[in-house]
Amino acid sequence: MKASLMLRRASWSVVALTAVLLLVFLTTGAPEGGAAQAAGKTLAVVIDAEANRADEAEAIAADLRAIGIDADVRIWEWSALKDSALKGERQMYLTDWGSAYFDPFDLAVPKLRTGDRGNYSHYSNPAFDRAIDAALTTIDPEARRRAYYEAQSILCDDAPWIFGYYLSETEAARAEVTNWQPAMDSRINLHDVGLVRGDTIVVGMKTDKIVTLDPAMHRERDTETVIRNMFDGLVTRTWDGKVVPEIAESWTTPADNVYVFKIRKGIKFHNGEELDADDVVFTFERILKEGAIAGRSSPRASLLGPVEKVEKIDKYTVRFTLSSPFPVFLQALVQTQVVPKDYIQRVGDEEFARNPVGCGPFKYVGGRLDDQIVMERFDDYYGGSPDLPPVGPAKVKRVIFRMMPDPTVRITALKAGEVQIVQQVPPDLAANLRRDKNVQVKAVEGTRVYCVELNCAKPPFDDVRVRKAMNYAVNWDRILQTIYGGTATRLATAFLPSGFGFNPDLKPYPYDPERAKALLSEAGYLVR
Amino acid sequence: MRRTHVQILERVLATVPIALGVAIAVFVLMRLMPGDPVDIMMGEAGGVTQDDVDALRAELGLDRPLASQLGAYLAGLARGDLGRSIQSSRPVTDVILEALPATIELALYSLVFALALAVPIGVISALRQRSIIDRASMAGSFLGISMPAFWLGLLGIIVFSLHLGWLPTSGRITYGYEPETITGLFTVDAILTGNIPALVDSLKHLVLPAATLGAGVAGVVARVVRSSMLEVLRADYVLFARAKGVPERSVTVRHALRNALIPTVTVVGLQVGTLLGGNMIVETIFGWPGLGRVVVDAIFSRDYPLVQAAVMVYALTFVLVNLATDVLYTYLNPKMTL
Repeated sequence: MKASLMLRRASWSVVALTAVLLLVFLTTGAPEGGAAQAAGKTLAVVIDAEANRADEAEAIAADLRAIGIDADVRIWEWSALKDSALKGERQMYLTDWGSAYFDPFDLAVPKLRTGDRGNYSHYSNPAFDRAIDAALTTIDPEARRRAYYEAQSILCDDAPWIFGYYLSETEAARAEVTNWQPAMDSRINLHDVGLVRGDTIVVGMKTDKIVTLDPAMHRERDTETVIRNMFDGLVTRTWDGKVVPEIAESWTTPADNVYVFKIRKGIKFHNGEELDADDVVFTFERILKEGAIAGRSSPRASLLGPVEKVEKIDKYTVRFTLSSPFPVFLQALVQTQVVPKDYIQRVGDEEFARNPVGCGPFKYVGGRLDDQIVMERFDDYYGGSPDLPPVGPAKVKRVIFRMMPDPTVRITALKAGEVQIVQQVPPDLAANLRRDKNVQVKAVEGTRVYCVELNCAKPPFDDVRVRKAMNYAVNWDRILQTIYGGTATRLATAFLPSGFGFNPDLKPYPYDPERAKALLSEAGYLVR
Repeated sequence: MRRTHVQILERVLATVPIALGVAIAVFVLMRLMPGDPVDIMMGEAGGVTQDDVDALRAELGLDRPLASQLGAYLAGLARGDLGRSIQSSRPVTDVILEALPATIELALYSLVFALALAVPIGVISALRQRSIIDRASMAGSFLGISMPAFWLGLLGIIVFSLHLGWLPTSGRITYGYEPETITGLFTVDAILTGNIPALVDSLKHLVLPAATLGAGVAGVVARVVRSSMLEVLRADYVLFARAKGVPERSVTVRHALRNALIPTVTVVGLQVGTLLGGNMIVETIFGWPGLGRVVVDAIFSRDYPLVQAAVMVYALTFVLVNLATDVLYTYLNPKMTL
């Protein structure tokens, strides 16, 4: 009797455990059959979304139902949805995509160029591809702008998505924090901020964990936010996205595909070693060469585009040769932090990830990736970018990045004075926070595009009239006002105003259910 | 006695096939899940081509046939090598051993909290059946069971951290207070090293998460203690004990409670599994760096080796806790055997 009891318990525990995994399947659901519609039929669509945008999906479905479309919402786990969308099994899905280059290079290009990695809508238009390629193969800003303008017009006419919006990101700090400014690239630059009293700044991070402390082994923004307080790059950005020198003193471009950087003299790593051209070359070769980091390849190689060769000219000069012109090269360099060659070769890559040594304003003290990362001021810091005053050692003695995934807790901790700066304040909590005299709240334009992608390869959305009808049918202004308060801004296409080559004259589709109905009838669907 | 030892050994050995079954089931399930770890790791950003993704997949061996991957995994398992996390490229064993003490410590304190609250409540409710105390505590236990952790936890943070300022909102210990690592359980290490400030600080950090996590368990246990006490109190041997003049206190504790604890132990045993495995929500709210968060995150990022290893830890925990429960039975009621 006891044996069977035990067996039963054991099997129960296995069931309970596998249930965790099955949870993902539950949200997956079976793929829908094609939605081919005969003429004169009601248009039936399933709107797919992740749980965090369920309300929005329901509101869109309601707008579609209002003009006679049979719309349903299905909630998914993201990877499952993406997988199914890539197979072409889905019809329309709420997605979002972030940009870090302040250029369509990592937004409209991967999202909409034929066959590109982020092209979940299966959109393909040779004219659009030509325009994009033109913009990416020259470094002449005027030619690039013209090409991007053309690409935007094409997108507007083709309506491959229900074009959406971007959000302004709200961050907050205690009132005693000085010179604090949230950055569009989510960087939290603690070198520049000070404290009216106290010597420790604790940052409440929105993430559960950061991936690593090795700047070459991740592709994740929060990880980069933490790392960039310990490491500097050849160049950096102002909070609004302009590239300015950091470790590099200056640079020249003798040819479209050649960049020569002069490195500042007298820069020291946290272990006292001096930074020179060898470290810079090592940093880039470590990323570009396959299997160079303890047998693994850096996931960041592709961020560097067509970089072919990185050479030392003399102790303080480095030359980059690209196989083709790469107009966003400088933006890409912002995301590469220089690491110490001698130290890494001495201790190995794994030890480096455990005890990172950089040349940034703070040096690593200790912590855990999923708990908190503690750093202290590096007193021999060279001062940082002259374009980002103040120049000199950091003002605060110690900084701690604490992982606080729950927004309410993050904000409570800020109000209680346990943390001094928090990432990502949800709109519903921002209002309350703004009334707190001990807290300063600032918003900054986000660099993430939110939209509803339409499967352009299959009926009904292979018909541009239906796609346009969708764009007219959604009352975005009302939806965004209700869900995001005043923090969302509509977009005419997949281009962001903060990115290069944005055409401000292009206006978003207006809410016009009558035109939506006319287009749908024309395409052969019943409308109400 | 000797027989019991042999039986315990048998039970321990029986976990081997269970572990193997779990290993294979989780391995296959993870790979059946849509989504690709490398694709997730590569993030969005520009310039990534499918070739880059494929190259990294090959580097990690994810392009090999499933059977060959499973073979390699089981071979590694036999050597005690659980592989490396895809996301962080750290050995999975390191990641889990780093997170496990936090989870164990939280579970232990939740259990202590739950039992310290539930057993007296259950006993008193049973002794004063249908009194106001009984009704109030049963209503309270119902609330404890039904109150979701994310709500109770936030309520606690807002009241005790923000308004009263007594307790920290989240985290495990204040920076600078960490005791020297011996067991990884901060309170235990603090006691072992005689570090009073560390003990006080880590206990302060434990109060809210342990109470939040323990509330549900306390509710369940209080109800079970009450109902089994009621049953036992009606038993003949309790009547007999009273009749022969045993003091009421002794009747309650030695005769009734001890027997009433047998079903309670079963329930607590099952709850310990829940405490260790099901606390991702509490861990997330309180920024508690434990295993639950690691696992959830690993599932979302399809970090196969990490999920496999963590689920294995959970499975073995369940099995061993159940074994401990059964051993405890024989102590509470010598008539029972394993």
